Amino acid sequence: MERKEVLDALRAILVTRLKFDPARTADITMETTLPKGLEGSLGLDSLDFIELSIAIEERFGIVIDESEDLAPHFQSMDALTRFISLKGAGP
Amino acid sequence: MSRVVVTGLGVVSPYGVGVRPFWEGLSSGRCAIRPITLFETGGFRSRIAGEVPAPALDALAASRRRSRADRFGLAAAREAVVDAGLSRAEQAMAGVIVGGVGGGMLEAETWYWEMARSGEDPRRRPALRSILPSSHAEVVAHCLGLGGPKETVVMACSSGAASVALAADLIVDGIAPLMLAGGVDALTRICFMGFNALKLLDPDPCRPFDRDRRGMSLGEGAAFIVLEDWEHARGRGARPYAELLSSGLSTDAFHVTSPHPGADGVIRAITDSLARAGLPAGDVGYVNAHGTGTAQNDRTEALALGKVFGTAGLLMSANKSLIGHAMAAAGALEAVATVLTLRHGVIPPTANLDHPDPEIPFDCVPHTARPASVRVAMSNSFGFGGQNVSLIFRRWE
Repeated sequence: MERKEVLDALRAILVTRLKFDPARTADITMETTLPKGLEGSLGLDSLDFIELSIAIEERFGIVIDESEDLAPHFQSMDALTRFISLKGAGP
Repeated sequence: MSRVVVTGLGVVSPYGVGVRPFWEGLSSGRCAIRPITLFETGGFRSRIAGEVPAPALDALAASRRRSRADRFGLAAAREAVVDAGLSRAEQAMAGVIVGGVGGGMLEAETWYWEMARSGEDPRRRPALRSILPSSHAEVVAHCLGLGGPKETVVMACSSGAASVALAADLIVDGIAPLMLAGGVDALTRICFMGFNALKLLDPDPCRPFDRDRRGMSLGEGAAFIVLEDWEHARGRGARPYAELLSSGLSTDAFHVTSPHPGADGVIRAITDSLARAGLPAGDVGYVNAHGTGTAQNDRTEALALGKVFGTAGLLMSANKSLIGHAMAAAGALEAVATVLTLRHGVIPPTANLDHPDPEIPFDCVPHTARPASVRVAMSNSFGFGGQNVSLIFRRWE
């Protein structure tokens, strides 16, 4: 799966599972950061990250290993799409 | 008054994922109670249960970080919503009531045991997020976009049936036109060990209504029913499976585990449901029994049925002889089985019934399914603490 397609799928997850306003996801680019507290980020908190990671597993058919340090992979859309693509995401 | 109809069904059972394998399994009389593989059972009196097969669970497109029970619930709820043909807009109007007891206890047990043994946090804390039984309703509502009222019913072994009864009341009261109602439970160590400690588990697959019965068998799974106001269903062109005519709920208020010896509460649940349906007892052609296989339950249940219906002509059978007792999911699984019995005109048998108990003088449909054109059927569920629920369904014609 192309990283561009992964980004589109993540936009859809933000709307359906994290209840983002669809208009807000149009502005999301690879440079957009995720964690709360960063200037211009999506403002996700720890519960949002659990919901997001479960939704990613179900959407892309991959397994995310919790014993890994996952924070760097969820830092930005650039990092997250790279992480998902490397896991061999399916359509 | 509104009529409440059944327009969608979904099941996860020891026969696998889906309504079709569930009905094929029940109507073939194939007992799905086998040695437990989910956790260690060495040293216990009973080591068997109706377990959902691993390949069926692995095939679900649900994250393995969800609890086993939440994965059951999500799959059964999705099937019911798809079966009912609900659009996203209709789902947004629908409410959900789920019977739950064990919640995510299986995963919490694993987390706790690993931590207690290694002295370190096993980094699976998200497992604890879904420990409460209310998690099932939250996950189902969130993932399916159900925007109506959301409730969790914790009523021991009648939770699944009670959720169906209460959801129908919300429709009749005009609170919601559409409700998803069901029950969810997964096997847990605490349930397995607790029932073993109570000496209520048969070492062999349970044999409800048999003279030689020695207790129940545990089970697990999930079932959901889409209940709908008939006018609403007709408006969108849905074809009902059956009509839910009424329910009766009562409490023994007698003992923490034993049923009332005179079956007082059970009789009230059954007669209340008949009165609310405006039906004479003789109209009920089949009873999907609670039928656990414990000495006490089966005797009390037969006493109540005999008093209300007499013993001649009534057919009854126990699904638990085939799939075990799925706790909070049992009443919902059996409600689905009752609806399918009306739909197909076939009564699933009571397995393992070799020597009928002379104290239970009913035709309990032993071993082999029986064709029977039943118009009205009752499904009974009784929980610890004397929590009794009777549901009455009528064939859709």
